[in-house]
Parts: sequence; C-alpha cells; structure tokens
Amino acid sequence: MRGFTKHLAHYLTLFGIFLVGILAFIFFSYDQSFQIITAIAVALSYVVWGIVHHLIHRDLYLAVVIEYLAVASLGLVIIFSLILRS
Amino acid sequence: MKFIRKIAHLLVPRESNNQKAKLLHSSSLTLITFAFIFYQLAISLIPSLGSRVLGYAANISPEEVIRLTNEKRINDGLLPLEENSTLSQAAQAKGADMLVKGYWAHVAPDGTQPWQFFTNFGYKYRYAGENLAKDFSNPQSTVDAWMASPSHRENLLSPKYKEIGVAVVEGNLAGIDTTIIVQFFGTKYVDTMPVAPIAKAKELPVNTPISKIEEQLAIITAPSQSKRLVSPFNATKNISLLIAGLLLIILVIDGVIVSKRNIVRIGGRSLAHFAFLGMIVIITLLLKAGQII
Repeated sequence: MRGFTKHLAHYLTLFGIFLVGILAFIFFSYDQSFQIITAIAVALSYVVWGIVHHLIHRDLYLAVVIEYLAVASLGLVIIFSLILRS
Repeated sequence: MKFIRKIAHLLVPRESNNQKAKLLHSSSLTLITFAFIFYQLAISLIPSLGSRVLGYAANISPEEVIRLTNEKRINDGLLPLEENSTLSQAAQAKGADMLVKGYWAHVAPDGTQPWQFFTNFGYKYRYAGENLAKDFSNPQSTVDAWMASPSHRENLLSPKYKEIGVAVVEGNLAGIDTTIIVQFFGTKYVDTMPVAPIAKAKELPVNTPISKIEEQLAIITAPSQSKRLVSPFNATKNISLLIAGLLLIILVIDGVIVSKRNIVRIGGRSLAHFAFLGMIVIITLLLKAGQII
C-alpha cells in the first residue's frame, strides 16, 4: 500500500489504461478485430508501464521484464481464446 | 504434512520459493499459459476425432426475432416490417447452404451472393439486406448484438425495407453443432419507389434451381436430436475464470504477507499484476458467445 501511495501517478495511469481497455470491449462488443487490437495494445502498455516504473524505481532487472511478459502473455492467451470462440 | 508444505510452496511466499508463491514465478506462469494453449488445441481437435459433444444449445424462434426487430423499429419511430414467407424460405435456403457448404460468410466460397437466394425464390427486390448470427442462446441477445453493430443496426432500422424473412437453422458447422440465424430484409421491386438504391443489392441471374435448395432444406431441417452439448466458449470461459481467479487470490495472499514481513525482493509489482488480471476477469465476464456478420 505504501508503494501505491508513493507512486500514485504511476498506478492511476495503469488503472486508466485498463479502464480504457474494459470500455473498448463494452462499446465495440461487435468488432472482434478491434477487440484483438485492444487486447494487444493494453498488454503491451502494461509491459511498458512495468519497465518504465521499475526503471524510475531503479530496480529494473531482466527477471522483472520476463515476469511482466509472462503475466501479459497469459492474459492475452485467455482473451484471444475467448474472442475466437465467441 | 509434506502435502501441506507443497501447497504452501505453491501459494504462499516462504523460504523454499524465494519469498514468492511458486505459482507467481515466471516459469509457472509460462507453464500455465502453455497448458491453456494445449487445452484450447484439445477442444479444437475434438470435432476431427468424430465426437459430437461440442455445440451451442439455443432456443430461438424466427417469430421472436421478427417481433424483437419490429419492436426496435417501432421504438425508433419506424413502421414494422411485414413477414414474408418467400423471404423466410430464401433465408432458410441461405442457412442450409452455409451448413451444406460449410461456410460462415455473406458470400459463399463459390461466389454465390446472398441476393441470389432472393431471386431464386422469385422475390424481385428493389432493396435487399442480410444479417447473420450464430452461436447465440436466445433471440434477445441476437437482436441486441445486431443493434450494437452500426452496419447491422442500419439494416434493422432502415426505412427502405418493408418486408422481413427469418430462418433459424441448426446443424454442424466445422464440427460444432450450432444455430445459425439468417435475417433477410427486402422491398419488392413493384413497391413504392424509395429514395435511393442500396449499393450492395443488385439483380442476379437465377442459377440455382429451386429443387436443389429444397433438397438442402430437407437435410438441414431434419429434427435435431436432443443431447447435452458442451459449449467450447463456456468451457474456455470457465477455465479462464478459474485460472485468473486463483492467481488473484494468490496475489492478495502474497501482497499481504510481503507487506507484513517487510520482505524485499526483486520482482514485478503485485498490485500491477492484480489490476491486470482483474481487468482480464472483467473482460472474460463481459464476453458472450455469439457471432454476427
């Protein structure tokens, strides 16, 4: 929680990106291509956010980048599977 | 005791997992991702093994689709469309054609345009339109999906159309039992001259004999056996929610313990991962089965 209040601007940016992603899925529910592009854009933004955040915090390591990539990949695979099966 | 230690190793930060739940390690997340891809491949392979367990159960009547369509038109200040049996037969033929030839598109792989089904049944149109839907479980969600899409909404709420024909065909498409809804809109050529022609609609020569279409109809409209089907979408959705939900719980436990014990470690931010997976859960819950074109 201390990290959250200390980096409030960072986290608000991240939550803003996720909110845009959710709204895009609501308003473009009929457009699968747009949903796929949105999912990729949000996942990429999340990884970039992680890199920038840790860079500013001076604790950026390869293991950290891999962790963000692993979480983003899992999320993308889930969303792609659902979009393609819907 | 050994079992409890193993579970704790997977779910709780401790010395054995370098102060981070093993399931949150990059290696475990990658393993889960590959297991999920394998699960999807297994679902996709089921139809090729000859098994007919996958499908989308639906309870949709053409009359209800027409009623809901007219409800939307009336709400928009338009005149309701009249049901035309010729258009319904043409729509039925289009649905049958998709199942027989195995395609999901407005234009058949052999180049047959949707308008050809109009003319095959002797419906000479001035304006014609087509909306398609599949894998929906009820008529309301189908019409709602069409209304959410600007191009389909334009068809539904076009003042140029006077008549409607809807067919609901059930059959096997790419190994999965599905329900296709074909919605044909039209205005007869002899009717009042409307404002401007719709670009897509054009007269085509009659190529397909009616007898061939009737033969196809006989195949498709055969009574479907009542059986319990597994929806590939729901099977994917449930597993997705299980994985994301489990990781969210572990992230909360991890965050609380790390904060309480003041553990300093190299790794991503648990709150960021939590927010990302939370978004995945919300999107998973938002997505619904059913496609429109």
